[in-house]
Amino acid sequence: MVCRKYHELTRKRPRARARGHHSPVVTNQPYLRTFVTPAALCALAFIVAMAAILQYSVRAYIPGSLEPGGLTLANFAALMKPLYARVFLDTVWICFLTAFCTLIVGYPIAYALVHVSNPTAKSIVLITVVTPLFLGEVVRTYSWIIVLGNNGFINSVLLKLGVIEHPIQFMFTTFGVVVALVHVTMPVMVIMLAAALSHIDRDYQKAAESLGAGPVRAFLTVTLPLSMPGIIAGVTTAFAWTFSAFATPQLIGGGRVNMVSNLVYQLGFASFNFPFAASLCVAGLALTLVVLSALRLAARPLEKIGPH
Amino acid sequence: MKRLLIAFFALALGFPAQAQHKLVVSIWGGSWRDLVAETVAKKFTQETGVPVEFITGGTIDRLNKAKLTKDNPESDITFTTSHVGWLYANDGLFEKLDLAKIPNAKNLADEARISPYHLGSWAYIYTIGYRADLLKGVKFESWNDLWNPALKGKLAAPDFDPSHIIVVSAILSGGDAAHWEKGQDKLKALKPNFKAFYTNDANSQQLLATGETPVQVVLSMNAYYMIGQGVPITVAIPKEGGVLGVDTVAIMKGSKKAELGYKFINALYDPAVQAEIAKLKKGSPAVLNAKLHPEIAKLPGVFTTAAQWKKQINIDAKLRAEKTAEWRKWFAENIMN
Repeated sequence: MVCRKYHELTRKRPRARARGHHSPVVTNQPYLRTFVTPAALCALAFIVAMAAILQYSVRAYIPGSLEPGGLTLANFAALMKPLYARVFLDTVWICFLTAFCTLIVGYPIAYALVHVSNPTAKSIVLITVVTPLFLGEVVRTYSWIIVLGNNGFINSVLLKLGVIEHPIQFMFTTFGVVVALVHVTMPVMVIMLAAALSHIDRDYQKAAESLGAGPVRAFLTVTLPLSMPGIIAGVTTAFAWTFSAFATPQLIGGGRVNMVSNLVYQLGFASFNFPFAASLCVAGLALTLVVLSALRLAARPLEKIGPH
Repeated sequence: MKRLLIAFFALALGFPAQAQHKLVVSIWGGSWRDLVAETVAKKFTQETGVPVEFITGGTIDRLNKAKLTKDNPESDITFTTSHVGWLYANDGLFEKLDLAKIPNAKNLADEARISPYHLGSWAYIYTIGYRADLLKGVKFESWNDLWNPALKGKLAAPDFDPSHIIVVSAILSGGDAAHWEKGQDKLKALKPNFKAFYTNDANSQQLLATGETPVQVVLSMNAYYMIGQGVPITVAIPKEGGVLGVDTVAIMKGSKKAELGYKFINALYDPAVQAEIAKLKKGSPAVLNAKLHPEIAKLPGVFTTAAQWKKQINIDAKLRAEKTAEWRKWFAENIMN
């Protein structure tokens, strides 16, 4: 009931806002043009770049030359080998694992960020979460190499404590790559979840508790469902963000764990076979669209949980 | 106030004039740029009074940029590896060199005369570098020793260029670079020994320094750099020789300062400059008349005689440019995955 009331409130607000904004937009057409023109030019540049990649993907590779040859579908035919299918599937699997693990680790942090009342504690949580955004992906990845290596921090501690006799292999494994990717995507997930959680009226949880629900039940039946739009947005963003990861799988994976971007680099650019690199890009883009559409379809029932 | 304005306009007009009067050199960043700045560029500026400006980037970035600015190049001089230089040359991006304008080039080693368009600037080898402290009792006298079962899960090689190990496998199987297929089975047998594939020099250094991969097919210069940093690496020279690598220099086609470019290349081949390059980078001079310190001259991968150059495994740069994609693809499909 509480949820339904919240839903009614939130449904009315956007309409009111839309009406409120409609009028100034019509009257301020020159400003609209000022803002839309640069965006349209950027979009045009992206379209031209995409068109260039598309045309490269259907051109033949000439060994020893930078100029591509005539039209061909051979690049796409070459992608049919099981090796490439496996890398594409591995990529999707790593993206899912990363998005899921980031959600599990990020949700409590986002919850703490929103609900901690002490401003100092809130600042500490916020700084801890946001700081990785200011470091480059390569710097963060090298830090993880130091932590995950055979002589790294984790193995050294476990060996000294006598927990293990031989170092555990974290580097060049899917586990190592996912751990480092979770760190990369964590700030985005936490910020998106915190935004969703901060919009939930705390009175709903209090109302549930006053009606006899314990804190866990109140969280599971009120807060968690109401934060579902944020969860879906966070998971989708983390998935798409991870799909284009390059430096982390390249350095932590050490050529043993490959994602689509690594394949583009290895087989396309490092070999100067730009047409094949372009066909990999096109296939990767198509896969992203398919997976994100599937994700959206799968998330539809969950989206309804929030409003109801 | 009037004087101030005059000074301002004089400066404003003067700057572009000075900017035009400079030689632009395209090279990799980091220590490579510093190497050229501290040696060749310094001498060139002393001789001509013309400052040198650098534009830096990765091999592929610079190749792409050069292609996009064909006939109106951003740089006057380009440094790149010998086989990539052939891609520039095949696309008409390099000026055909007039060796009469580079008197010091007469001392170049034969192997450094890559093409009519690009010449070797210095050389190195890809060889076996290992941590003797982590691999007790293991010797590397031949490339065959990499196939030692005791090295299971301990080896790393570059992921960006498998040509070295592909050609070595071919030679050990009775083939050569042109008939590399002969070494395919041999190389597949090495698969269990590979632990990782490094993506750049820094990655290679990090994997050796941490002992993550205690043996590598490694660039000699990188190994010496790490030894200088205190990492206990042994550089082995297999009896078959190291795989020769030559970095090259060329004048960009369309450069309006080609004459200065010739002077720059001539300064590069000055024996003292070449000796300084060998000292700083522990690489081999491209000329045979450089006087090296005995400690530098005795290093594996530093050649002072024509016979030493010829003893190395030399993959024809043009063939390598044509085969790179095929080799890289085969390696990814059969060895890395």
